[in-house]
Amino acid sequence: MSSSNTLLERRYAALGLMLIAPTVLVFCAVIIYPLVSAIYLSFFNIFTPTLEGEWVGLSNYTELLQTGQFWSALGNTLIWTVGTLSLQIIFGIAMALVLHQNIWFRSLARSLILFPYFISTVVAVLVWKWLFNDLYGIMNHLLISAGIIDFPMDFLGTMPNAMVSVILVGAWKYFPFVVIAVLARLQSIPDALYEAAKIDGAGPIARFFDVTLPQLREVLVVIILLRAIWDFKEFDLIFLLTGGGPINDTQTLPLLVYQEAFALNDMGRASAYAVVMMAIMLVFMIVYIRRTRSEEGS
Amino acid sequence: MAEVVFSQVKKAFGTFTAVHGLDLHIKEGEFVSLLGPSGCGKTTTLRMLAGLEFPTSGDIQIGDRVVNDIPPGQRDIAMVFQSYALYPHMSVADNIAYPLKKRGVGRADRDIAVAKTAELLQLTELLKRKPRQLSGGQQQRVALGRALVRDPKVFLLDEPLSNLDAKLRGYMRVELVELHRRLGRTMVYVTHDQLEAMTMSDRIAVMEGGVLQQFAPPAEVYAAPANRFVASFIGTPGMTLMDGELSKQGGTWRFDAPGISMDVGALNDRAEPGGACLGVRPEHVSIGQGSINGTIQVVEKTGHENIVIIGLEGGQRLTGRVPAPQSWSIGENVQLSLDAEQAHIFGPGPHGPRLNLPSNIATPDLKSAAN
Repeated sequence: MSSSNTLLERRYAALGLMLIAPTVLVFCAVIIYPLVSAIYLSFFNIFTPTLEGEWVGLSNYTELLQTGQFWSALGNTLIWTVGTLSLQIIFGIAMALVLHQNIWFRSLARSLILFPYFISTVVAVLVWKWLFNDLYGIMNHLLISAGIIDFPMDFLGTMPNAMVSVILVGAWKYFPFVVIAVLARLQSIPDALYEAAKIDGAGPIARFFDVTLPQLREVLVVIILLRAIWDFKEFDLIFLLTGGGPINDTQTLPLLVYQEAFALNDMGRASAYAVVMMAIMLVFMIVYIRRTRSEEGS
Repeated sequence: MAEVVFSQVKKAFGTFTAVHGLDLHIKEGEFVSLLGPSGCGKTTTLRMLAGLEFPTSGDIQIGDRVVNDIPPGQRDIAMVFQSYALYPHMSVADNIAYPLKKRGVGRADRDIAVAKTAELLQLTELLKRKPRQLSGGQQQRVALGRALVRDPKVFLLDEPLSNLDAKLRGYMRVELVELHRRLGRTMVYVTHDQLEAMTMSDRIAVMEGGVLQQFAPPAEVYAAPANRFVASFIGTPGMTLMDGELSKQGGTWRFDAPGISMDVGALNDRAEPGGACLGVRPEHVSIGQGSINGTIQVVEKTGHENIVIIGLEGGQRLTGRVPAPQSWSIGENVQLSLDAEQAHIFGPGPHGPRLNLPSNIATPDLKSAAN
């Protein structure tokens, strides 16, 4: 602010500060404080129940990078994120295109499609566990009746079945988000563009690639970044479905953090994992922020 | 080049009929405007010609082909949209090249065609830009370029100038006429702006309520409107229309309305004694002397002329147009006369037909006179 600001301008600036102050305070209490304390705790060897321990410097980090568990959890996290996100995007776009057509019961279908997204994860996982059950689950029943398999499959207890199942349930649960975002964008594409393309000689497939997809590009970038961040830190769905098993084959980083903090009671190590996770997600966040900024700029 | 023929074309959307049995024969190389108020069916007519809507009944012919069942991309037409409909993620060059690309024209030939079109429309400097980096007028030219590049048989233009400011619109009118003259292609132009239709067209198809009202050269539409609707729609300021009574005295007809009474000479055989409508263009009102008494109510000064609105004794209002030096003050009583030779008589009702004899009105074809 320059000294040439008038009294009125200074009064407006003061009012602005007063109005954002409550938000800033809440933000500090629930974001900044936990963040700083997590980083702080990661330099200690802390016993969770008593929260007492000693300064160990960077040894939590060096140990973490040397143990195979961290790297396998990171690998699992990447497989889960890429797998489930790809399916969410493919099914999401396909379903949005279907719901954009003039089909019967369109508004009913649009509401129903949101169902998996709104249902509580605990409820969804319980239902899926029943479906997957190897004794009385309908999946095995249907597959056996169809003659595809001879014996019941263990969907959640063996690999790669468990990872595939988790990825599928994740895709089922979160693809409606993609549907809604893509559908909103589809509705704002001017009809004249499709008509111009028709007159220019473009068939349905050319119209999808030359009109629809380029128009969806911006929204897809945002969806992919957001969903990548959310899938990367997904905890409850995987934890409830497999608990990270069989052995540790579906254990992702958030599950590992939980295990260290509350099963092995090593809060310092858990904090170190959490900080590393945050550093990885920071990359996504920076890309996302730059992306949205450049959009506002243009 | 091709002629365009609509034969008994009807288009209904559910219970609403947008176009009623349209018959229109557009000649090869002709510039025809579809003119009318919004909802008159002009855009629907154009979209049927483009293949974006399908006629409920009737045939549409381009050249010697009935195109009812031919998809838009194979009709050998090009269209310029009101919103331009440029592909936002493609450069100007790619936008112009797109119709060629979709028809399997090779890259080298495409580049040559794009360069040629860009030069014609002065777009060469802008070829690498994206549509959003262009002004409205430049986007308009790109849309034209995309239509021109393929050299189609028929050009369809859907209110292409309506998103431009007044000055640019005037400029583009001249450009389009020039382009039409150079290409010699059939052009069908939809507009609600009578100035565009009057200045650019070889013939104007005036439409209202899905019905063709008149299809004639601009001068004829102006000088001999086919019915009361066309008379009221064409001309700025509009023709004064007065309801009154027709009566026959010997071989000539007489028109009477409150405050006005005049001989209108011979009429055609559709004329009947009774209700009728008198139409007078503002330029056919002489103020200063005459048998009609009126009071000046409004004087609009446009610079080179004054538009004068006069209240007649019967409560009717009459619009006159006089050169700028002449002016009157509000409330002044004046005598005036109407040019009976140029007066129009229409039958009763909003679409009352023209009752004047054809020979009563001089209808010079301004465009052919200019050539």
